[in-house]
Amino acid sequence: MPTSPSSLGTTASALILAVPIAVPLATGATYAAIRRYAPTDWLSLVSPAAILASGVVLAHAMPGGGAVNAYGGVLRADAVTVWMLLVVGAVAAVACAAGPAYLAHERATGHATQGTARAYHLLVHAFLGAMCAAVLAGNLGVLWVAIEATTIVTAFLVGHRRTRASVEAAWKYVVICSAGIALAFLGIVLLYYAARAAGIPEATALDWPTLVAHADRLDPAVTRLGIALLILGFGAKAGLVPLHAWLPDAHSQAPAPVSALMSGVLLAVSFAAVLRGKVIADAALGPGYAQTLLSLAALLTLALAAALLLGQRDYKRMLAYSSMEHMSLIALGAAIGTPLARAAVLLHIAGHGLAKTVAFCSSGHILHLRRTTRIGRVRGLLARAPGLGAAFGLAVVALLGFPPFSLFASELGIVRAGFTAGLGWLTALALLLVLTAFAALALRTTRMLLGPLPLAPGTPAVPVRLGPAAGLPLAVGLLACAALGVSAGPLTDLLTAATTILGGH
Amino acid sequence: MRPMSTGTYTQLLDLACGAFLLAAVVVLWRRELVAIVRTFALQGIALAAIPLLIGLHEQRWGLIAVATGIGALRAGLLPYLMRRALAALTPSGGEEHHYEEDVSEARETQPLVNVAASLLTAAALTLLAYAVARPLVALNPGPAARALPVGLAVVLIGLFVLATRRRALAQVVGFLLLDNGITATAFLAASGVPLIVELGVSFDVLLAVLVLQILTTRMRTAFGTTDIDDLRELHD
Amino acid sequence: MSGTGLTAVAAQIVVVISGAPLLAGWMRQVRARMEGRAGAGVLQPWRDTRKLLRKEPITPIGTGPAFRTAPALLVATTAVVAALVPLLSTTTPVSAHADLILVVALLALGTVALALAGLDSGTAFGGMGASREMTVAALVEPTILVAVFAFSIPAGSTNLAAIVAGAVREPSRLASPAGLLATAALAVAVLAETGRIPVDNPATHLELTMVHEAMVLEYSGPDLALVELGAQMRLTVLLGLLASLFAPWGIATDASWPALAVALAAFVVKVAVLGAVLAAAEVFWAKVRLFRVPELLAGSFLLALLAVTSSYFLSGE
Repeated sequence: MPTSPSSLGTTASALILAVPIAVPLATGATYAAIRRYAPTDWLSLVSPAAILASGVVLAHAMPGGGAVNAYGGVLRADAVTVWMLLVVGAVAAVACAAGPAYLAHERATGHATQGTARAYHLLVHAFLGAMCAAVLAGNLGVLWVAIEATTIVTAFLVGHRRTRASVEAAWKYVVICSAGIALAFLGIVLLYYAARAAGIPEATALDWPTLVAHADRLDPAVTRLGIALLILGFGAKAGLVPLHAWLPDAHSQAPAPVSALMSGVLLAVSFAAVLRGKVIADAALGPGYAQTLLSLAALLTLALAAALLLGQRDYKRMLAYSSMEHMSLIALGAAIGTPLARAAVLLHIAGHGLAKTVAFCSSGHILHLRRTTRIGRVRGLLARAPGLGAAFGLAVVALLGFPPFSLFASELGIVRAGFTAGLGWLTALALLLVLTAFAALALRTTRMLLGPLPLAPGTPAVPVRLGPAAGLPLAVGLLACAALGVSAGPLTDLLTAATTILGGH
Repeated sequence: MRPMSTGTYTQLLDLACGAFLLAAVVVLWRRELVAIVRTFALQGIALAAIPLLIGLHEQRWGLIAVATGIGALRAGLLPYLMRRALAALTPSGGEEHHYEEDVSEARETQPLVNVAASLLTAAALTLLAYAVARPLVALNPGPAARALPVGLAVVLIGLFVLATRRRALAQVVGFLLLDNGITATAFLAASGVPLIVELGVSFDVLLAVLVLQILTTRMRTAFGTTDIDDLRELHD
Repeated sequence: MSGTGLTAVAAQIVVVISGAPLLAGWMRQVRARMEGRAGAGVLQPWRDTRKLLRKEPITPIGTGPAFRTAPALLVATTAVVAALVPLLSTTTPVSAHADLILVVALLALGTVALALAGLDSGTAFGGMGASREMTVAALVEPTILVAVFAFSIPAGSTNLAAIVAGAVREPSRLASPAGLLATAALAVAVLAETGRIPVDNPATHLELTMVHEAMVLEYSGPDLALVELGAQMRLTVLLGLLASLFAPWGIATDASWPALAVALAAFVVKVAVLGAVLAAAEVFWAKVRLFRVPELLAGSFLLALLAVTSSYFLSGE
C-alpha cells in the first residue's frame, strides 16, 4: 500500500478526522441540552458544513493515494473515505436544509412539540455522526459498531409517528438490520481469526489496510466464509437481497429528511463497507468469488425492485424501491470491478445520493400538501404546485438516468464496463430489468405530475408556492447532481485516487 | 496462580460449550417467555465461562476482566431488561381481574414451526454448523477451535428462533442468541476481538435491546398485542 | 474366571427378577410417604403377583398366539437383556455379546410383542394403546441408540461392557458435555420406555391418557402377573443401565468374589436411589398431554444427537 506522507501533522490529522464525528454529536447535544431558548432549526446546518469542510481539507492534505491515520488506526482517511465524506456532507446539507421546513409544517399541524423537535435534531445529528464514524473507521470492528449505531439511532426516527404502520416499520427495521449486521460481525470475527492465524498481531488484525496488505496469507476457506457473511450482512443494511424487507417500510415511514439521509447515504455507507470487503476478497481469493456473490445479489435485488415498482401505488415506497434498484446497479458495478466500473460506482453513489435526497424531500412536501402517499390521489401536481412538481419531476428524471444528471454518466459507465469486462449477458439482463423499472417509475411519476387540476367547487385555483426555505435546498441538490454529471471538476483527482484504492493497488 | 492443566482446561471448556449449546436448545423447547429469559441468563453464564477459562489457561488477566463484563451484561443486565419488559406486558392479575385478558402475551403459543419440528431442525442446524465449521477447525486445531461449531450452531439456532417465533420478546431472545453465538465464536476462534470493538459491540447490543424493548411497549399500545403476525399494515 | 463370570450373570438375572417387584414397591412406598399416606409396603407387588399366579388364566375369545405368547416373550427378552447388560460385572462370559444394538433390539422386541397382543385382543382400548405405544417407541428407540452411541465413541466400541469398563477407568469422560447430554437424553428415553410420568401414568386407567395400561387391559391371572413383572423388570434393567453408564463406580471389572459382592451392594443402592428420585419427581410432575409427548421425545432425541456430535467433534478424533 503506497502511503505517501500527508501534509498534516499528527495533531492536525487527529483533529480533522474527529471533526465529522464530533461536530454533529456536539450539535445534537446542544439541541438536547438547551431547553429554555430552543436553538433555531437552522443550527443543524453546522454539521454538514463541518463534514464538508473536513472532507475538503482532507482532499487537499493527501494528493494521490495517501492516507491519514489517527488514534492508533481507529480512524483513517483515504481517498474513498474523503469521497464518501463529501457525499455524506452534500446529502446531509440538502436534508438538513429541508429540516426546518419539515419541522415548521409539523409544528403548524400540531404533530411536533418542542420535545419531539428536540428529539428529532438529537437523533438526526447522532445519525450523521455515526455515519461519519462508519466512513472514517480504519478498523473493521469500529466500522461495524458505527453502522449498528446508525440502526439504533434511526429506529425512533422511523417510528416517530407511533402509529401502527410506523411501529411495524421500526420493528422490522431494527430486527432485520440488527440480525443482518450481526451476520456481518460474524464475518468480521472470521476474518480476524484468519488474520490472527496468519500471524498478524492483535492490535492491527482488524485494520483494513493491514488485511489488504497481508490478504495473500489469509486462509482461503475461512476468508471465503467471512467475506460471504460480510457481503450478506452489510448488504442487508444496503438494501440488497435477501435481507432487504425492512427498506421500503422504513423509508416510507421515516420523516422525509431522514428518509433522504437513509436512502441517499446510509445505503451507500454500508455498501462502502462491502466495497472494502471486496478489496480484501479480491486480494485473498482472486476476483471471481466476490464478483459472483455481488452480481447474484445485484440481479436478484434488481429483479425484485423492478417487479415491485410495476405495481406500486405509494410514492414513498416507489422511491424506496428505486433506491434498491440503484443499490443493485452499484453492486453490479462493484461486481464488474474494472477501473471504469469502480469510478462509475463512486460517481453513482454521489449522484444517487443527491437525486434521491431531492426526491424524498419533495415527496415530504407532497405529503404535506396532499396528506396522502397514494400515487392515485396526487394528480396535476405541476398545475397545483409548479415549483414542487418541477423539483420532484426533475429528481425522478435524474433517477431515471437522463443527462445532464450524473446518474446518466455513471450508469453508462457501469454498462460499458460490463460489456467490455466480458459480463455481457449479466449486463444485458440487468439492463432489461432497469428498463422495466424505468418504465414503471416514469409512468407513475407522470401520473402524479401531469393532468389538470381536479377542481372541486370552492377551492381556489391558485397554485401553491414553495417558499425559499423549502425550495432552495431542492434546487441546490439538483444543480449539484447536474453539475457532477457535466464534469467532476476539482473532484476528478479524488475520484481517480479512490478508484485506485478500491482496485486494491 | 498456576495455569490450569490442559486436560482440565479442555474438559471445562467443553463443558461450558455444551451448556451453552444446551441452553439454546432449551430456548427452542420452552414456550413460557419467563422460562426462555431464565434460560437465556444461564446461557450468559456459560458464555462468560468461555473467556474466563481461556483467560485462566493462558493467564491473561484482561480476558478475565472481559469475562466478568460479559457475564454482567449477558447474564445480568440483559435478562433483567427482558424480565422488566415482560412484566410490563403481562399485568399481574392482582386488584382487577380481566377474564377476557388472555395470558398469551407471556407464552409463545403458536410458533410458525411447531416445537417438535423446531427441535429436529435444530439438530439439522447443528450438523450444518459442524459441516460449515470444518475449515475453521482445520485452521488452528486446539481445544478451543474444536468447539467453534458450537458457536456457529447457536448462531443458526438464533436465526431460526428469530424467523419462526411470533412473540416480539421471543424474537429479541432470538437476536440475542445470535449475538451470544457470535461472541462465543469470537472467543473460541481468537480469544475475543480487540477490547475497543468488544466494548462497542456490547454497548450496541445493549442499546438495541433497549430500543426493541421500547418498541415492544409501543407495539402493545398500537396493536394491543405483541404478536408479530399482526404486523400487516405495510405490504405491497 | 468363568466361575465368578457365570455367577455374575446368574446374579444379574436373579437380582433383576426378584428385585423388580421390590423396586416397584419401594417407589410406590416413597411416593405414598411423600403424599402423606402410610403406603402398602415394599412387598406389596410380590403379594399381588402371588395372588395373580394362583388365579385361573382367562384368554378372551378370538385372540390368537400373539396374545398368549406376549407376556412370556416380554419377560424372556427382558431377562436376556438383564443377563447381557453389565449391571454387576463387565467381565462375564456373555459380555462379548452385550452389543448396544442387540440390547435395544431385544427391548423393542418386547415392546412390539405387547403392542401386537394389544391389537390381537381386538378391543378399542387395546388398539389405541398399541398405536400410542408404537408412536412413543418410534421416537424412543432411536434416542436410546444415539445416546448410547455417544458413550460408545470415546470407548471405540458399541459393546456396553467395553463402554462401562472404559468409563470406570476414565471417569472424566462422564463429565464431558457428551456424557451429560447423553445422560439427559437417556433419562427421558427411559421414562418414556418404561411408561412413567410425564409420558404415561402407570397408575391410571383413564381412557384418554393411558398408554401401557390400555394394551394390557384384557390380561388376567398369571398372564397379568407376567406382564406386570415384565414391565417392572424393564424399569429395573433400564435404571440399572442408566446407573451403569452414568455412575459406573462399584461395578466389578475383574473376576473376584469381593468385587462382585461390592458390585451387588452398589447396584442395589444405585437403583434404589434412582427409583426414589424418580418417585419423588413423579409427585411433583404432571403427565404431559399426548400431543406434547413427541415434543419431549424430539427434544431428547436432539440431546442425544448433540451428545454424539459433541463427543465426535470436541474429542478431536
